[in-house]
Amino acid sequence: MKVKLAGFGLVALALAVLPFPLSEFRTVQLATVGAYFIAILGLDVLTGHSGQISLGHGAFMAVGGYTTAILMADHGVRDVWTIPIAAAVAGAIGLAAGIPALRLSGLYLALATFGIAVVLPTILKKFDGFTGGSTGITLFGKPAQTGHGVGVWGLTNNQWLYALTWTVGAACFLLAWWLLASRFGRSLRAIRDSELAAAASGVNRAAYKVGAFGVSAAFAGVAGSLYAINVAYVSPDTFPIQLSLTLLVGAVVGLYGSIWGALLGALLIQFLSDLVGLVPHVDTKQAGPTTLVFGLVLVALMLLLPLVLRLASAITDRGYSRGR
Amino acid sequence: MTNFLQQVVSGLASGGIYGSLALALVLIHRSTGVLNFAQGEMATLSAFLCFTLVDHGWSFWPAFGATLVLSFGGGVALHSVLIRPIQRGPLLGIVILTIGLLIAINGFDTWVWGGAAKQFHGPFSTEPITVGGVAFSKQDIGVIAVSLVVVALVGLLFTRTKLGLGLRAAAVNPVEARLVGVRVGAMLAVGWGLAAALGAVAGVLAAPSLFLEPNMMQTVLLYAFAAAVLGGMDSPLGAVLGGLLLGVLLNLAGTYVHWIGGELRLATALAVILAVLLVRPAGLLGRSLVRRA
Amino acid sequence: MTRNLLAVVAALAALALAGFAAAATTATPGVTPTTIAIGSSGPLTGEAAAAAGVLRGADAYFKYVNARGGVYGRKISFTYLDDAYDPSKTVENVRRLVQQDNVFALFSLVGTNGNLAVRDFVNAAGVPQVFSAAGATTFGRDYAKYPWTIGYLPPYAEEGELYAKHILATNAKKAKVAVLYQSDDYGKDILGGFRRALGAKARTMIVQTVGYDPTSSDVQSQVAQLKASGANTFMVFAFGKFAIQAFVYASKLGWKPQIYVNDVASASSIMALMPRATAEGAISILWGKDPATPKFKKDPGVALAAKIVRRYVPGGNPSDGFLVAGMAEAYSFVDALKAAGKNLTRKGLMNAVTHMNEASNPFLVPGVKVHTTPTFRFPISAVQLQRWHSGHWEPFGGVVSARP
Repeated sequence: MKVKLAGFGLVALALAVLPFPLSEFRTVQLATVGAYFIAILGLDVLTGHSGQISLGHGAFMAVGGYTTAILMADHGVRDVWTIPIAAAVAGAIGLAAGIPALRLSGLYLALATFGIAVVLPTILKKFDGFTGGSTGITLFGKPAQTGHGVGVWGLTNNQWLYALTWTVGAACFLLAWWLLASRFGRSLRAIRDSELAAAASGVNRAAYKVGAFGVSAAFAGVAGSLYAINVAYVSPDTFPIQLSLTLLVGAVVGLYGSIWGALLGALLIQFLSDLVGLVPHVDTKQAGPTTLVFGLVLVALMLLLPLVLRLASAITDRGYSRGR
Repeated sequence: MTNFLQQVVSGLASGGIYGSLALALVLIHRSTGVLNFAQGEMATLSAFLCFTLVDHGWSFWPAFGATLVLSFGGGVALHSVLIRPIQRGPLLGIVILTIGLLIAINGFDTWVWGGAAKQFHGPFSTEPITVGGVAFSKQDIGVIAVSLVVVALVGLLFTRTKLGLGLRAAAVNPVEARLVGVRVGAMLAVGWGLAAALGAVAGVLAAPSLFLEPNMMQTVLLYAFAAAVLGGMDSPLGAVLGGLLLGVLLNLAGTYVHWIGGELRLATALAVILAVLLVRPAGLLGRSLVRRA
Repeated sequence: MTRNLLAVVAALAALALAGFAAAATTATPGVTPTTIAIGSSGPLTGEAAAAAGVLRGADAYFKYVNARGGVYGRKISFTYLDDAYDPSKTVENVRRLVQQDNVFALFSLVGTNGNLAVRDFVNAAGVPQVFSAAGATTFGRDYAKYPWTIGYLPPYAEEGELYAKHILATNAKKAKVAVLYQSDDYGKDILGGFRRALGAKARTMIVQTVGYDPTSSDVQSQVAQLKASGANTFMVFAFGKFAIQAFVYASKLGWKPQIYVNDVASASSIMALMPRATAEGAISILWGKDPATPKFKKDPGVALAAKIVRRYVPGGNPSDGFLVAGMAEAYSFVDALKAAGKNLTRKGLMNAVTHMNEASNPFLVPGVKVHTTPTFRFPISAVQLQRWHSGHWEPFGGVVSARP
């Protein structure tokens, strides 16, 4: 326990200090790491703990991102207030999606969510009166964007947004921890491990599964919202199927269920191309090598995972069940 | 009326491509219970291989034959090396592995052949033949014919040969199949090899009209899934018929429902997937499976 | 768990160290006594990859200039990143170039959507966004709001107008027009200009318009629909493989309309992929010299371009029109750098760029001059029409105005 607290403190300190020596560009990158972190937390709940495969979590991020963008650009809502609204909208859609999802077994749920993630950009482009179409929505320079952070404690705009993102991230982290350690989490894991046994124990499977969808979607909505606020631009191609897949990778890298792993996964998503660039002879100006390495990493992970998985799930389950 | 017939004919031609890829998906699902998200990219890779051979002076049919053999080998290798170790593990792991393959193969294609679209001349000419105001080319007929011939061959393989019997046995009940001497591991590998070869057919059929480039099959994959779901995930004939039907449906919807137009074609395919999965998961020709808890 | 934790801390530490390597800013960012750093972003991969030739061509020209001493002793260092035609990536690339790499200016950003996505940010940061390789009218028109931005290509809307005028002049009575257009700002701009110039006749002449999304796999159904409308004139306002497909499907369907194909898909290297019979007689515009056009075979500008390609573009095709277009832009940019003087500042560059009067760009069609003033910001505002005949382009009719 002491080790965990110390670790938590160390990471928090590192995150707090990091933006200052780095350029604005890196600050925004680290802020988007925070957004991915929150999305992966949500995916942990859904896939790791309730066993429902979602290949479309990027779609919920898109819902959150566009909610924020439209509210800020068209209605002048201040960015901070759009975050809970984005969570609510995405969460509601998640709950609604969870109901038909009950009818779909693992593979078919994966297929359906895959399809939704692939199709969402085209739908966003179609309703261009509402979403700005393929041109997207620029939030830069809009009065509603947080300008009031500038000057406070000598922070620049990007640094303020970084702080905002990671504060929300920390809150989500604690919320996720609490949820998963509670009855909600235990019921989810019971359902994941054996639906029949869970039903026999009186767990209302449908309610919890739908609830898991809603909660994870809400997290993703917050992530999308923060992403939009930091990058100050959304377009239909901002949340492509690749994002959904990389989120899943992030969750898996974190041995889905381990929240620390979510952080590692989020870092991996953002900085993979930089990492690949370190390999000699690989030209990262070309997309090919980066993509290839990314895919190979996934494949390798999946091959190595079963060995580690059993151990990991035993640890995480034990950790949660002891009510820490 | 002419436009209607024209759209139907073009739809059948596109549908033939969707159906061929769907056939590969169904084959893998039947034999190993897995949805192979990398099927489209594997097909693209096969098409690139064929293109490279032709580029080096081979004439089309020998190049195509070599591609089929190479693809078959690739499928077998893929199963033995990557799928077999984790086959009995959690479903999510296998799904993510196939997605990793999807990403890796796409990256490989981009790296080796570049991102620009290449022209690929198929074996059939594109000269138009006009019958009653409706124009189609020998290529369109070729695509439809090849798809149907392939599904017939696959059907024959499954029902009339010992190998086919072994494949079916291994898929339905591996434990008991082993007891009667079926080499289940080998059967599953052959299943993947066959599917890879079928994918190669789909890729080579698609390349002349869709233009050969790394992302060629990305949207086709979704259409192929829709076709397989529509026809029934376990029915090879259903896959091809589903493909043809889907091709026509998408064309007609795009032409006559203005709101859908050219932009919501993918969304329509998704709607088909969702509708079938929620209303009649077995599809048109599939069997309903009862899950025992 | 501990392992995960250590990995996270290690990763963050590595990042912090990497951050210290960030370039320090100088008085004018990107300018040192020996170098000028400029950046760009474009579709090095994806459907639009052919258009990235513009960036490669420009890069080659800069290398040529550097080999001759550069500009006032400074060598031009040109960094261009891939965005696969996705404006979200353009945003990320531009942020990196401006905030991490501290470039002096952005040059020839490719694609309408990408340029629009970064325009607000770039103008707020006071970074020049010069000679964007995009033709949306807004880049030349909205300079009051976006003073740091200027395009280069002839405006798409005016291109549409020219085609309309040509139809009115040659086939006003019998023309029935079908349009295939990309459903984003670029496609809608051309279509809009086309419609406007047809005026009252637009309603009766345009029998069918169909859009397509750049993420589709093919446009077969759309082309079939357009043929079914009974049109005898086909406007191809499309890009990359979709333009090629438009021709291929028209050929497959046995349709032989008079085709007008937009400039961005008209490079000879692309036209050569179209079925001969269908492409015969197709009309487009040109402003940069296309090396494959017989008229320019002996042209010294084209010869220079070929020399530069052979020397500085490994694997490059000297007949690639996109490369030459990039060199034209780069030539203008170097002119602007020279005019901005030895004491190079961002303001100075913008001043030079809005007072251009270039008469001798070797890569532009004779008669097409780069001309700008602070209130007229369309560098290329004249073009020539050309017709595809027997496998090559033949310019006709002299240089006409494309002024908005």
